[in-house]
Amino acid sequence: MKKIILSIFAMSLFIVSCSSDDDATPSEPLGAYEDGIIVSGEGGPSSISFISNDLMTTENEIYFNVNNEATGVYLQSIGFNDDKAYIVVDAGTITVVNRYTFEKLGTISTGLTLPRFIAFDGNTAYVSDWADPNDTTDDYIAVVDLSTNSVTSTIPVSEGPEQVLEESGKIYVSHKGGYGVNNVISVINISNNLLETITVNDVPDEMFIDESGNLLVLSSGANQSWLTPPVETAASITRIDLSDNSIISNLEFATGEHPGLMTYDDGIAYYILNNKVYTLEDNATSLPTSPLFDITTGYAYGLSVRDNQLFVTDGNFTANSTLLIYDISTGTETNSFSVAIGASKIYFNE
Amino acid sequence: MRHLNSFFLLLLFSSTVQAQISSDSIQKLDEVVLSDVKLKRYAKGYKITVLSDSLLKKNGISLTDILRFNSNIYFKENGYGMVSSPSFRGTNASQTAVIWNGININSQLTGQTDFNTVSTTNFNSIDIRSGGGSVQYGSGAIGGSIHLNNLLNFSKHFDHTVKLSYGSYDTKDVSYLSSFSNEKLSMNIGLKYIDSKNDYKYLNTDQRNKNGAFNNGSINANLGYILSDKDVLKLYHQSFVGEREFSGTLSSPSLAKYEDKNFRTMLEWSHIGNYASSKLKVAHLQEHFKYFGNKTTNNFTFGKVNTYVINYTTDIDVLDNLKLKPIVAYNYFEGSGSSFGKPNRNEFSSTVLLQYQPNKAWQYGFNLRQDVTSGFSSPLLFSFDVAYEVSENYKLKLNGSKNYRVPTFNDLYWQPGGNLNLDPETSYQIDLGQEIKYKSANLILNAFYIKTTDLIQWTPTSSGFWSPQNIAETQNYGAEATMEFCYKLKAHDFLIQGNYAYTVSENLETNNQLIYVPYHKANINLAYAHKRLSLFFQHLFTGEVYTTTENISGPFYSVDPYQVNNFGASYKVLKTNTQQIDLSLKVNNLFNTAYENVAFRPMPDRNFNFQIQYKF
Repeated sequence: MKKIILSIFAMSLFIVSCSSDDDATPSEPLGAYEDGIIVSGEGGPSSISFISNDLMTTENEIYFNVNNEATGVYLQSIGFNDDKAYIVVDAGTITVVNRYTFEKLGTISTGLTLPRFIAFDGNTAYVSDWADPNDTTDDYIAVVDLSTNSVTSTIPVSEGPEQVLEESGKIYVSHKGGYGVNNVISVINISNNLLETITVNDVPDEMFIDESGNLLVLSSGANQSWLTPPVETAASITRIDLSDNSIISNLEFATGEHPGLMTYDDGIAYYILNNKVYTLEDNATSLPTSPLFDITTGYAYGLSVRDNQLFVTDGNFTANSTLLIYDISTGTETNSFSVAIGASKIYFNE
Repeated sequence: MRHLNSFFLLLLFSSTVQAQISSDSIQKLDEVVLSDVKLKRYAKGYKITVLSDSLLKKNGISLTDILRFNSNIYFKENGYGMVSSPSFRGTNASQTAVIWNGININSQLTGQTDFNTVSTTNFNSIDIRSGGGSVQYGSGAIGGSIHLNNLLNFSKHFDHTVKLSYGSYDTKDVSYLSSFSNEKLSMNIGLKYIDSKNDYKYLNTDQRNKNGAFNNGSINANLGYILSDKDVLKLYHQSFVGEREFSGTLSSPSLAKYEDKNFRTMLEWSHIGNYASSKLKVAHLQEHFKYFGNKTTNNFTFGKVNTYVINYTTDIDVLDNLKLKPIVAYNYFEGSGSSFGKPNRNEFSSTVLLQYQPNKAWQYGFNLRQDVTSGFSSPLLFSFDVAYEVSENYKLKLNGSKNYRVPTFNDLYWQPGGNLNLDPETSYQIDLGQEIKYKSANLILNAFYIKTTDLIQWTPTSSGFWSPQNIAETQNYGAEATMEFCYKLKAHDFLIQGNYAYTVSENLETNNQLIYVPYHKANINLAYAHKRLSLFFQHLFTGEVYTTTENISGPFYSVDPYQVNNFGASYKVLKTNTQQIDLSLKVNNLFNTAYENVAFRPMPDRNFNFQIQYKF
């Protein structure tokens, strides 16, 4: 009897200590896919790969393994908000899952046509949508109520809205141009849905907020060699002051240089050009002339950075792709993993 | 020429005649009856499988269905009725040529024929010629070729066939065939319209095949006129107008729609001489598609190609046992489309076919072709074939050839990516066949080897778009068996017919099997007939196919093997000398098997088709 009472006492102590001090003891894992790298593959078939942060556990097709259904044609991007992940598929659906277990919670499809990227502001999401890709005038940002998973309104924007980013009550949209070429960043004021535009170089895509709160945009430049006469415009990295949307600096690339991938961490932007990694610090006034290091990919298709590691996907569309991890300080490849077909985006699920 | 008409009769109504034709007089007839003489006369060392008229009628709807249940050819079909492309001996879809009355009708845009846009109505026979045939049939005849033939019957007759059928998924099929001849003029016309919701249930799910409806109408009209006892004029025409929704996958819905319009017209003048017969063909082919990414809008992309053909050939009997057939042809292709501007191409080809029969047992063929094409250089092509009749029951056949496939308009001009620096794919193949015949049993065994270089593949480039390159090398080898056995017991007829193919098709760099090529494919057909009743049963087995180049099994990397069975019954309700009414019922996917042909695209559940056919 005494023993039992003692053990109950001990148990209650344990419970109390657990609830009183969360940091002191390890928390229950929230799901199999917490604390790891998530790689989305466009397909087809599209799928999502997981690699644990300690790089010891890897699993491909995690959404399929959990839900016994595929993610659809083609998986464009994933957005993360609170404990949920939103899988954006070109065919017109966003699948809502628990970001740690990847269990399906619902879908958003009515009101979406050809969605590309998703950004969040509280309980509202903003989704860039090309609508009919052959129509240059029907593109929009869908406003989604996340409590009902329904599109509540749409904001018409110019051709080919791509990445979306929320910053201080505004949504920034890079207009890559869809099947064509565009050269604007749309700025939507969330409080009144008023729209402004900032003109940048052709084909703006990747966007980041730098350490000073400025917007950093990579534009690939037009490279339509198939037109007669061919059309080529300069790529550039543009830094924009968000207080008045003025351009702080616009660093243009040489003719023939069209970088498509950029990532940003801790005051440094990293971009890839012809299998070389270059860096650009926040205060730089010109583009770097020499690369940080070389990479070996057949087709660099995704780029992310964390701590001292650079993550690159080598996209393969007829077989599994490869995720390569480079040590930034030494420029050496430290790990590689077989990941989803057409692997295009790398996320960190913390 | 007096016996001409009776020979026509013989040709048309004897089902075994194709295998037996050898006498000179009948060969002359070939030149009149057949638009494609080279298929019969200059292919002694090739395996040619004839799918008869009655078989075509039994299988009904699509060329895909007919061939997948009755041949060694494997089909990759994006869901029932959707885009369907063949793999013949492990080659890809643009390496199988489809020949309409002797003319190659593969798309100039994709290089292939979508087998669900070919209506089989009113073709008297469909022949499958295994092995390379670029010398005879031009670009794309690498694995083999499929021949759609119209014969004109000059014996006096006037008859009609009306067919009405209704089936699952609200499938309606109406056709009318009419054939007429007064011995000088022969004509036949076939009209067909089919409409289906095609909203079959995806077994083991709660989904249906949404956005999969299709309808199409086709006209086949052929006319022959005997100008004199030395001259025959013939006109062939085929129109196909189809509209299809493109169904989505298990995980993604689709709103896409596709419209096809194909028109083919050919005028042919044959002149028959004592030692040489000549034939002049003039043809116009048009292919036209519209693709609607979203069927609710009016936005579409399109592609259109007009092909003009002039072809002149002579069949010369140099000696009794030596035949020569020179062919000169000029093709002009002009295209236009949303994604490739307005390209055009000129192609001039000269071909010589030689057939030598030193004695009854041996036959040799030797053939050469050289094309001159605007834009790129074509290789000199050759082929040879030997047939040796060891005994009445045993025949050996051997053929070898160099074949090619020219880059398509898409490969050359697609914006972005089109590559003007492409070379034609070239391929060498060799094929050894044995035909064993004993009473009413037939066994045909073939072994083949194909090596293809400079395969055109689209890959991503550093410019951010995809572009085709001559990069891959493949080899295919395998074995095929076809057997047939009929047995008659009093008034009971039994027929068993089966095909099996083992195919290795590998990329020579990785030694991996190519995607969507099964190692094993087999089918069996059983038929039984007694008086007015006939029954048949079909079985198809398709082995696992890989969907990625890595050759891994699993839901993201391969499609499971499947077996599917059909059953049909037919009864002649009325049979008189002048009239006949047949009622038939067909059950497809008899055992309600869940299967996919392409990953994430389920095929139909069990479905029924009821048909009434009235001949008068």
